[in-house]
Amino acid sequence: MKTFGRIPLTASGFAALPLLIVAAVVAALFVFPWLVASPYLLHLMILLFLSVAMGESWNVIGGYCGQYSVGHAAYFGVGAYAALMLLQYKHIAPWWGVWVAIAAALIISLLIGTICFRLRGPYFVLASIAVAEIIRLVVLNWKQLANGAEGILLVDIPPLMLGGKLVTDWLSKTPFYYLGLILALATLLVNYLVQHSKLGYYLQAIREDQDAAHSLGINLSFYKNVALAISALFTALSGVFYGLYIGFIDPTSVLGVDLSVQMVLICIIGGIGTNFGPVVGALVLVPLSEALRANLLSKFLFSTGVVQETSRVGGFLKENLAHAHVLIYGILVVVVILFMPDGVLGFGKKLIARRARPLSATPTPLVGGLDGSA
Amino acid sequence: MRVLIQSTASGILIGGVYALVGIGLTIIYGVMRVINFAHGELLMIGMYLTWIIFTSFGVDPFLSIAITIPAMFLFGAFLQRVLINRVLNALPQNQILLTIGLGLVLSNVVMLIYTSDYKIITTRYSSSTINLAGLPISTPLAISLLITTVITAILYFFLLKTDTGQAIRATAQDRDAAQLMGINVKRMSVLAFGIGTALAGTAGALVSPTYYIFPQVGGAFTLKAFVIVVLGGMGSVIGATLGGIIIGVTESLAAVYVSSGMKEVFVYVLFLLVLLFKPAGLLGRSRM
Repeated sequence: MKTFGRIPLTASGFAALPLLIVAAVVAALFVFPWLVASPYLLHLMILLFLSVAMGESWNVIGGYCGQYSVGHAAYFGVGAYAALMLLQYKHIAPWWGVWVAIAAALIISLLIGTICFRLRGPYFVLASIAVAEIIRLVVLNWKQLANGAEGILLVDIPPLMLGGKLVTDWLSKTPFYYLGLILALATLLVNYLVQHSKLGYYLQAIREDQDAAHSLGINLSFYKNVALAISALFTALSGVFYGLYIGFIDPTSVLGVDLSVQMVLICIIGGIGTNFGPVVGALVLVPLSEALRANLLSKFLFSTGVVQETSRVGGFLKENLAHAHVLIYGILVVVVILFMPDGVLGFGKKLIARRARPLSATPTPLVGGLDGSA
Repeated sequence: MRVLIQSTASGILIGGVYALVGIGLTIIYGVMRVINFAHGELLMIGMYLTWIIFTSFGVDPFLSIAITIPAMFLFGAFLQRVLINRVLNALPQNQILLTIGLGLVLSNVVMLIYTSDYKIITTRYSSSTINLAGLPISTPLAISLLITTVITAILYFFLLKTDTGQAIRATAQDRDAAQLMGINVKRMSVLAFGIGTALAGTAGALVSPTYYIFPQVGGAFTLKAFVIVVLGGMGSVIGATLGGIIIGVTESLAAVYVSSGMKEVFVYVLFLLVLLFKPAGLLGRSRM
């Protein structure tokens, strides 16, 4: 965790403060399951970690390298399918199966990269969608391959033993909580390491101007493929985690375009190409869509008296609002693109910078990578 | 051989509608350089509009396009003024994301109002066929091809012969130069988005007697519209017409000779091949 201390949040040398905050948050998250027994809250936190992991994974290729892949469901789904099929049909424990999942995702990323990175801009976006759709349709229609539309229902996960001692039997939500937390922290760390490495500078150069980067001797297809491989690896891990936690996967839920779009939206809403953008995005999106799913919004409308529960509109809202949680993604992305193109995080930073300016004569530079990002 | 001719014929029939969807997308792209990821959702709105008119007033789906076309044109013009116009100079990624968001909003609002149940429009000719030179051809598809042909012909005439049409083409060729020549490019953008939306809505109305109507139907059409447009060459109306028919025939042949679930795989593979080997499309040079 020490590396986090070197992030200068402001140029005024407050390196110790962010380190303390991050350490405190991480420590609080590790003791959280001891203090909170509510399975629903744990479930929410697990969803949050999953969204963070998905967003941060996408951020490597989309945020730093500027390649807007809208086909990341391919890696997510292939990872989930590889691990769950090995577990279900061959009885290979997921901690071995996960390596196969990673290998499969890397092979597919190389394949997709070779095809799609020859294209730029909108053509790349379209090609990435098309490849993911081909994979989804093949899984859906080739029943012998992966059980088609019925998907795979996981019966149980074998207990994890380490040195003859039982670590977990996967019956409660707590092991998934820690697994998700570790996955989310790992993807955050990867983002930090990528951003502050030579690789990260190459990627950002490619994002800003491909031709200029190329003329400076950066091998475009090589570095794009490296970024995609890193991104695919962690997306596949998120997929494995999703499959094990939910226990059921089918082509629509883990290979659909909606999922790919969701990964992009987490980053866009939070702030693309920044370390903590996807975290902010997940913090905005997960509670909002859960509130809709659990009908909290219609309950809120009833309790405040805006709409009568017994009225026709009230009954309608109660019945249907829960199914429309994706609507919130749509509205949010429209609002964010129109009014805060740097995401919630960038918008907040701008506000703070505007308020801080009168205090110091020179505007304080913000964290690198934010400048010039989409 | 008979099967081959039969499936090619039905491919051409559905290809006509695809062409309409593709032309709408290509006009929008040509004039504004905005890739409309909500195009399939606009088609879906057209389907629902037709369904509403059919169930509440009993108007035949093919006659109802007289209402659908102007309504969708106004809706498109409204969307352009309120949303799309604001991102004309933004990064292409942001334009794409805005239209993706718009698509999500449209499909989910429709789902909120009409639930995700499948709706169908059953007319007395829905499952009837007409005999054309010994080939049985589905009546609704035959009528829709007829209407598509008429609309495409009117559109060609409009774009090639009228002043406004020429102004739209000039804007598509070079926005700045068109502006310098005194063309109101902002108005052309509104017009183009309106026409594109109206074409998508018309396509929705035309396929509504033969398709299931549900809020998520748009996604598949959006992607297919792109395939058509890229195949024909971005911005080329003739290319989009050709692309639509090629995609229709490809799908139809793949459905007969491989499996109906896999037909879209062939379309996407064809798409990738075109992107890789002829990225400008079949008629990529000419703009409109």
